Amino acid sequence: MKNTFSLALLQLSFCFTFFALTHISALELHGHGASLIETTCQRTPFYNLCVSTLRSDPRSSGADVAGLARIGADKLKAKATATLRQITALLKVTKDPNLTTALRECVDYYNAIVKYDIPEAVEAVVKGDPKFGVEGATDAANEADACGRGFKNQPRFPIYDSNKVVHDLSAVVASIVQLLL
Amino acid sequence: MVDTRPFLPVSSSDGSNPSEPLANRCKTMKVLLSIFFGLLVVGLFAALLASNVTENGHGSLASSTTAKPEPLRRVSRGPAAGVSEKSNWLFGKDDENGVAFPWNNSMLSWQRTAFHFQPERNWMNDPNGPLFYKGWYHFFYQYNPHAPVWGDIVWGHAVSKDLIHWLHLPLAMVADKTYDKSGVWTGSATFLPDGKIVMLYTGSDAEAVQVQNLAYPADHSDPLLINWVKFTGNPVLVPPPGILSKDFRDPTTAWLTSEGKWRFAIGSKINKTGIALVYDTKDFITYEKLDGLLRAVDGTGMWECVDFFPVSKTEENGLDTSVNGPDVKHVMKVSLDDDKNDYYAIGTYHEKNATFIPDDPTIDVGIGLRYDYGVYYAAKTFYDQNKNRRVLWGWIKESDSEAADVKKGWASVQSIPRTILLDQKTGTHLLQWPVEEIDSLRLNSYEFNQVKVQAGSVVPLEVGPATQLDILAEFEIDKEALEKATGSNVTFSCSSSGGTVERGALGPFGLLVLADDSLSEQTPVYFYIAKGSDGNLKTFFCNDQSRSSEASDVNKQIYGSMVPVLEGENLSLRVLVDHSIIESFAQGGRTVITSRAYPTKAIYGAAKLFLFNNATEAGVSASLRIWQMNSAFIRPFPNLDNKSQ
Repeated sequence: MKNTFSLALLQLSFCFTFFALTHISALELHGHGASLIETTCQRTPFYNLCVSTLRSDPRSSGADVAGLARIGADKLKAKATATLRQITALLKVTKDPNLTTALRECVDYYNAIVKYDIPEAVEAVVKGDPKFGVEGATDAANEADACGRGFKNQPRFPIYDSNKVVHDLSAVVASIVQLLL
Repeated sequence: MVDTRPFLPVSSSDGSNPSEPLANRCKTMKVLLSIFFGLLVVGLFAALLASNVTENGHGSLASSTTAKPEPLRRVSRGPAAGVSEKSNWLFGKDDENGVAFPWNNSMLSWQRTAFHFQPERNWMNDPNGPLFYKGWYHFFYQYNPHAPVWGDIVWGHAVSKDLIHWLHLPLAMVADKTYDKSGVWTGSATFLPDGKIVMLYTGSDAEAVQVQNLAYPADHSDPLLINWVKFTGNPVLVPPPGILSKDFRDPTTAWLTSEGKWRFAIGSKINKTGIALVYDTKDFITYEKLDGLLRAVDGTGMWECVDFFPVSKTEENGLDTSVNGPDVKHVMKVSLDDDKNDYYAIGTYHEKNATFIPDDPTIDVGIGLRYDYGVYYAAKTFYDQNKNRRVLWGWIKESDSEAADVKKGWASVQSIPRTILLDQKTGTHLLQWPVEEIDSLRLNSYEFNQVKVQAGSVVPLEVGPATQLDILAEFEIDKEALEKATGSNVTFSCSSSGGTVERGALGPFGLLVLADDSLSEQTPVYFYIAKGSDGNLKTFFCNDQSRSSEASDVNKQIYGSMVPVLEGENLSLRVLVDHSIIESFAQGGRTVITSRAYPTKAIYGAAKLFLFNNATEAGVSASLRIWQMNSAFIRPFPNLDNKSQ
């Protein structure tokens, strides 16, 4: 009698553990929010940036790929707008003429990014003609890259960090939109 | 992903002795219970670990700022997600050292074309509903009135007497209904037997669902067709079951079935299989979706701008879209969303079950021949009843950066309209040729007869200004060199070659357009003959953009394809140069390449024309006729009464 009881208890604990494990693995397989972000970001060139950016937005937990693309574009717009502000602020205080030239060119590139490239990407995702979204986001990455090149022969590159984020995030958004094709 | 570490408990050797006293029995219970809970805890712990194991190789640290900033990687259009590079932007190989180009107004304003259709400013894409009516050719197009990038799409409109001299009219349709609030997208025109026009077009509705709508001219007696009316019962079609709301667009011109119904096709996809759905209608208001598909091809992705039309096997004229019969082949064409190219297949249309069977399934729709091996998309044909020909329009987008487009205030042009015919000599290709009306732009001409261009040489052609040209050329290659050349197994392709710097025994040779005197900028349009190890010759026709501009933010790819050259044919070429667009036609239009060029130096009077031969063994002899081309003076329709829209 004791033996049966102990056996039963052991069986119960075994079943319980097994059940717990399969339940959790089922959660993984059904691709809840966290998982979709990870699998989507694996297909972008900057995984960590992609994951942290998307996760920072509460909308991401229930979003499909188009929704993630939208979130990425919104975050990109915020970052690009902030970088543009940073550039114009720097222009006001910079005395170095070389730096001024480089910064002025970046204003042009960032205007294109904020006013044209990103809105184009958002509209393309929302309306379902994703190839224009890939173009817009890729162009944004290229504009950021072009902006950076202006500092190639300069001793200082004051906006390096934010420019790099804009570049990398643009590439991420382009990759995500590409998945919608 | 799932931690499947088996969780079998180590066999408990807790053999309890039934003869032990009660105290021991309680102790055993405690042990069992603790084992139970212990297993529980371990089980939960394992589950926790399992959820963390999805971390894979991407666990690297974020890039840290170093003292010397690392150069940002230039992103090609179609990023790291394993998309084929061949359809994407490839920047120059030296771009690591290049600084992005500072475009000035002089360079940018030179880029505007003189005789290609483009609106006065802002963005254009797909051709829509082209037709001929009451003495005028009509052209509608996807247009963004607000910016030089895609967005806020409405229908632009222009008219011409000759497909060349265009006059801009007011917007034909704007996004003013719920069923096209998010965009008045691509559509096609159909002529009813009584001569009236119906237009079927895609609307992106207020919820961004793609639906099909009916529109027609407000006043059929107005030859300019300025005002259009949208059917009050729109939308007439919504995405059918099994088709996603964003995979249903670009209805074709309709054709008559033998039962007297109208039939049309519309592209879509199921997963990654591109498909064309078919509908029948009697009145363009109610539709019956056919069970089958006109055609489906795996792996091609979304089919945009489907076009389906007959071509004559025996005559050199066009055919009305409804024509069918034994002397007719059908052409099915699609624009592939995935790689932004237009593909066609020649085959047979079986009306009974509304299917299209390609002559050669290895070059089926979307995986075979292209209309154009350069920049060319969303093409659409129409039957021109005025001159009994079928005419092809194609959208040519920019190959520069969007920032440059913003600076210059516009983006995109249309190709010169082309007649399209079955190539009766090969039976496998279509022939495209600029409409004959373009000859009316020819001004003074220059003739060059049998100009010898030795292996490894460049010959300047004195033609005066070289930014608006129509060039007809024939090349003869040294026969001895052709025979002597050793064949090899190496396969050649324009896009993976090194361009014109890669020298073969029998090529490359051709023209250098938009080249400056020092040849620091040049756009070669050329032939390359490859000899196989079996002695067979294969001719390739290419366009090399790698040195078309010193600017780094422009497309530098090499375009092209094999071109069939038949026994007794000379190599022939026609090139239209119009500022930033080059359209080139080989062997009478059997293979066509359109490209964009944005030189910084080879502009205005500094742009020149050269013959070149960079082969190692074969000399060539070239005969050419070259015309200066006039502008088409494309402008708003003069003295138009301001009719309200």
